[in-house]
Amino acid sequence: MSKPTEKKGAVQTTGHAWDGDLQEYNNPLPRWWLWGFYATVVFAVVYWLMYPAWPVGNTFTKGFNTITFEVDGEERTTHWNTRALLVRDMQSSPSAVRQREFLEQIAAASYEEILTDADKLAFVRSYAHGIYGDFCAACHQVGGAGIVGLYPNLANDDWLWGGTVERIEETLIQGRLGYMPSYRETLNADQMTDVAVYVLSIAGYEGGDADAIGRGDRIFHGAEGGCFQCHNVGGVGRTSQGAPNLTNNIWQIIDVPNAADHDARVELVKSVLRNGIQRQMPAFADRLSPIEIKVLTAYVHQLGGGQ
Amino acid sequence: MAHSTTMAGAHAATGVASAEQYNYEIIKKFAIMALIWGVLGMSVGTYIAAQLAFPFLNFDIAEISFGRFRPVHTTLVIFGFGGNALFATSYYVVQRTCQARLYSDSLATFTFWGWNISIALGVVTYMLGYTQGREYAEFVWPIDILIAVTWVVYFWVFLQTLLRRSQPHIYVANWFYMAFILATALLHIFNNLQVPVSLFSLESYSLFSGVQDAMTQWWYGHNAVGFFLTAAFLGMMYYFVPKQAGRPIYSYRLSIIHFWALVFLYMWVGAHHLHWTALPDWVSTLAATFSILLLLPSWGGMINGIMTLSGAWDKLRTDPIMLFLITALSFYGMSTFEGPMMSLKSVNALSHYTDWTVGHVHSGALGWVAMISFGSLYHLIPRLWNTKLYSLKLVYVHFFLATIGIVLYITAMWVAGIGQGLMLRAFDEYGNLAYTFVESVVFLHKPYVVRMIGGMFFVSGIVIMAYNIFMTITAARREAARAEAKIAAKMAGAAS
Repeated sequence: MSKPTEKKGAVQTTGHAWDGDLQEYNNPLPRWWLWGFYATVVFAVVYWLMYPAWPVGNTFTKGFNTITFEVDGEERTTHWNTRALLVRDMQSSPSAVRQREFLEQIAAASYEEILTDADKLAFVRSYAHGIYGDFCAACHQVGGAGIVGLYPNLANDDWLWGGTVERIEETLIQGRLGYMPSYRETLNADQMTDVAVYVLSIAGYEGGDADAIGRGDRIFHGAEGGCFQCHNVGGVGRTSQGAPNLTNNIWQIIDVPNAADHDARVELVKSVLRNGIQRQMPAFADRLSPIEIKVLTAYVHQLGGGQ
Repeated sequence: MAHSTTMAGAHAATGVASAEQYNYEIIKKFAIMALIWGVLGMSVGTYIAAQLAFPFLNFDIAEISFGRFRPVHTTLVIFGFGGNALFATSYYVVQRTCQARLYSDSLATFTFWGWNISIALGVVTYMLGYTQGREYAEFVWPIDILIAVTWVVYFWVFLQTLLRRSQPHIYVANWFYMAFILATALLHIFNNLQVPVSLFSLESYSLFSGVQDAMTQWWYGHNAVGFFLTAAFLGMMYYFVPKQAGRPIYSYRLSIIHFWALVFLYMWVGAHHLHWTALPDWVSTLAATFSILLLLPSWGGMINGIMTLSGAWDKLRTDPIMLFLITALSFYGMSTFEGPMMSLKSVNALSHYTDWTVGHVHSGALGWVAMISFGSLYHLIPRLWNTKLYSLKLVYVHFFLATIGIVLYITAMWVAGIGQGLMLRAFDEYGNLAYTFVESVVFLHKPYVVRMIGGMFFVSGIVIMAYNIFMTITAARREAARAEAKIAAKMAGAAS
């Protein structure tokens, strides 16, 4: 770099001058620059010889590089191209091979075999980490804890639609519509208080007089409320309707355990009675492959509370 | 800042002569607009960088959300700041090196209003949600037409001025400006061939479809980088570096070779933005190899600029403007090395669709384009107003703020981009993808915060520059008024 300085006196300018003092030396091209440029030319030519490169008429130069892959058990060799590269990678890259072996095992196994085999279960957890993360975690959260009031918890053993593998698979395939009607038009404020006090009593909360609990009980189990039709007699829930068990003190919509006092708890329950519930889980039959649904089913089942 | 009255007098005399010989008024306008758009555009950029780190900052207001502010940012910095700096310097350089006044004052004024109204309209339409959806060409079709007309007039003014030169030879800076103007006209017009939905609609359909449309867009997109953001700023470099250094350009031969290599090779490489897509493989290969071939021709400009200083390296100790110019060339060399590497298909498989690309663009945009413009404007503005800079110390402050900002920005984006690329292609021991997309987003948060801080440094730099320039111009006006009053008083004295 310092050479030009030494021979500064020797180098001539081109003899032109612009705007007063603007001149140009006529130094030769730096050697390393010139050879560097030649090197890139060599690189480019080699690259052209190896890969598809120049258009010629209706086709193009294919290059010497080839890719070999299988079609229906038959080996086929073509010039290098990205489509063949993808096919070969999916057929023979170490990761793809390992994944395919596991997926074949999963496809052949029953849910019971998957859930009791440590190897298969480990694969399910690894595979579902990705698909659960991309398709489910946005609502049900990483780990499956859900969000109270919005998305059900998948990590406990309380199931709206049932926690057996069959039911979980069905939920994934066809989606679910969670619905509870609003009682705004049906019950007055006092009646709602009575129902709320009753519902809290079967969940184990003390408070409210025995009369109110009794009145609430009658509305719950009578024609007026008809709550038992979905929530079942005694409020133990009915998975065919997606109606939760009200007796286990696990709450999906309202945060009863953390409410300040009994009045606050009553208000929370009444808010559900007033507003009703409308939730939807989309169907995944068209978005995920059968094997993906199988893996997710097993994954959700083992999150904490599979039945 | 203080200089003797005799010095000032002599300075003023030559300055006044230049101002009459050349059209300086139009250059002043462009130079000021460059700074105004620059401050705005870089602030918007920092704000959207902050939105990426802290999404609540869009406050659910559509007009200021990332999707709409992003083209506002790129348009303001590339066309607002960069474009006005190029108009200003090209009009200055062509007049001074041709020793000819600008061909037509009124046409030059038209280019000023045509260009800046287009930018203002662009900003408003983007914020209202009107866009062509073509990166760096988001202007809707009526604005495209205004830009095309403005650009053809620019070409005409520049060409006619060149033809009226009183110098036998055309100085190298003008070759680069000319190539930039010609190529930009070509790119802008072909990439914006659109069929409007109706005469009264801002919406339109591209004339091309599918992969041809993508090809056209990136032929435009990369040559916007090659001719607008590279060739043109090399033109700037070829005038302001030797002027500021007070030394001849290192090699005329090198300038010829690298000029022709650059303009020939750039046109081929746009498709490297579309590796691993529906693009035919042979197009991909050509784009990658021509990008590699571009490496040394690009470096030719860097060598010619940096070696111009050989024998006068001590200037880097005493002249902050020289610091800007030489640092710009260093970043130019770095990003023109990085670019060809990223254009290789195998590297691109890792880098594409990650923030590495964003970092690469900014090492060029902040490091090269903005730094060379800052240096050139610091050289240019005192000469236009026939005065001296208000504060050289503030130029130093600006230099260090800008440099720290760039280093924070690009290192953060290397970490972000390479990390993101590696996460999205990582497999675990079962052959499954190891990370979800959202995990890569979580990982990006910290680099995004660092990038935002880098942006804040850079913006503070240009704000200080704007202040410095404002004070310089104010002082120049005061000085001019005082001189005029003195002359008026003398005349009155003589008359009585």
